[in-house]
Amino acid sequence: MAKRSDLLKSSSHSLLLCLLEQQPMYGYQIIKELEARSQGYFKFKEGTLYPALHRLAKSGLITGSWQTLPNGRQRRYYHITEKGLAKLAQERTQWQDFLNAVRLILQPGQPVT
Amino acid sequence: MTSELAEYIENIKYTSKLQPANEAEVLGELETHIEDKLRELTDSGLSEEEAVKACLHELGSPSLVARQIYEAYSQGSWKQVFMASLPHILFGALFTLNWWHYPGWLVIVLGVISGIAVYGWWHGKPTWVFSWLSYSLLPVMAVGILLVYLPKGWSLLAIPVYIAFAAWWLFHMVIQTVKKDWLFSSVMLLPMPIIIGWFLAVSPDWKITASSLERATLMAPWIGLSFLALALTVAAFIRIRQRWLRIGLLVLSGVITLSLVVHYTYGQINTPLFVGLMLVMWGVFLVPLLLERRFRNRNKSLPKYLRTNTIKTG
Repeated sequence: MAKRSDLLKSSSHSLLLCLLEQQPMYGYQIIKELEARSQGYFKFKEGTLYPALHRLAKSGLITGSWQTLPNGRQRRYYHITEKGLAKLAQERTQWQDFLNAVRLILQPGQPVT
Repeated sequence: MTSELAEYIENIKYTSKLQPANEAEVLGELETHIEDKLRELTDSGLSEEEAVKACLHELGSPSLVARQIYEAYSQGSWKQVFMASLPHILFGALFTLNWWHYPGWLVIVLGVISGIAVYGWWHGKPTWVFSWLSYSLLPVMAVGILLVYLPKGWSLLAIPVYIAFAAWWLFHMVIQTVKKDWLFSSVMLLPMPIIIGWFLAVSPDWKITASSLERATLMAPWIGLSFLALALTVAAFIRIRQRWLRIGLLVLSGVITLSLVVHYTYGQINTPLFVGLMLVMWGVFLVPLLLERRFRNRNKSLPKYLRTNTIKTG
């Protein structure tokens, strides 16, 4: 059985794109959102979130821009790009196909979504 | 920010080898994250010491984070690949296309290489410039060869001065490049043992004679090929993301190319000379690495405001 960290590693790009599809977010907010939405199942080593975000930015799937808050502090917000949306749609289909195939074997007789 | 967290950021800064343009952004973002995290932890009732400890644990190992940052930023573009491999291709073409017979071509090619090296040096030392800098050491070598032709008394006087000057120049170049990344310094020095090997094979007595020219004509295709191998090495180096693979590539390519040089010099390089060239080749990797470590340790022992390239903390 794959370790949870391995599962997170292999799906981190899809998860990040999916979160950023909802709204632009900064790194710390992404960590919190991911943890809350997965009910604590997915937990990044926080320092490794940024290299993952930078890889996505380098591939043109997201962009980052600094914003100054009313209290004077600066945060880098990440936005998904058109290319990122297209990639996310493609990855969603792949995940769906994969999950359906796994369900067919692990839970035979269950309806496929 | 506490000293443990400042040390954490400093470790990432040192190991991730970011370009100055990216460094401030990447580390600034990490610092903002740490501030948010500390605030959350202290608000939840932890003491500052406990919060720092928990924060460091949640962030993960600095070497892992730095390695991932390095891999996110290290890969060069295809334009950089072209620019970085071009000087080796031009220098190799001098021999494969027999341009070296014509002093005009020699002057043009070396002039272009030196001009671009100087341009890159004064325009932020981009990744591609280090392979061009290799050839900026050639005029220094050429002066050394010319000294052999001086009258005996003069050469005895000039050679120590020359050695001191050449060592200073080489040391200066290595220091400047090591400040960016010791691996770039090795990329710059990589052709040196190859050039010295070919020169000693062509002119074992350090003088360019008619028989040197004959030997050079005989070996020209292999000389050209060895520089094309360097061009391929540098091209792969620019595209590879992983640092350990980059180091392995340079070491392997250096040793194999040098072995090929010895093989195709038709016995002109004997075993002691080969061992000497191999030592120079290992020096190409070890000297920059050791110098960088020395600078880092010296930098760490300085007060923060005196450290070089210190990042502003929030």
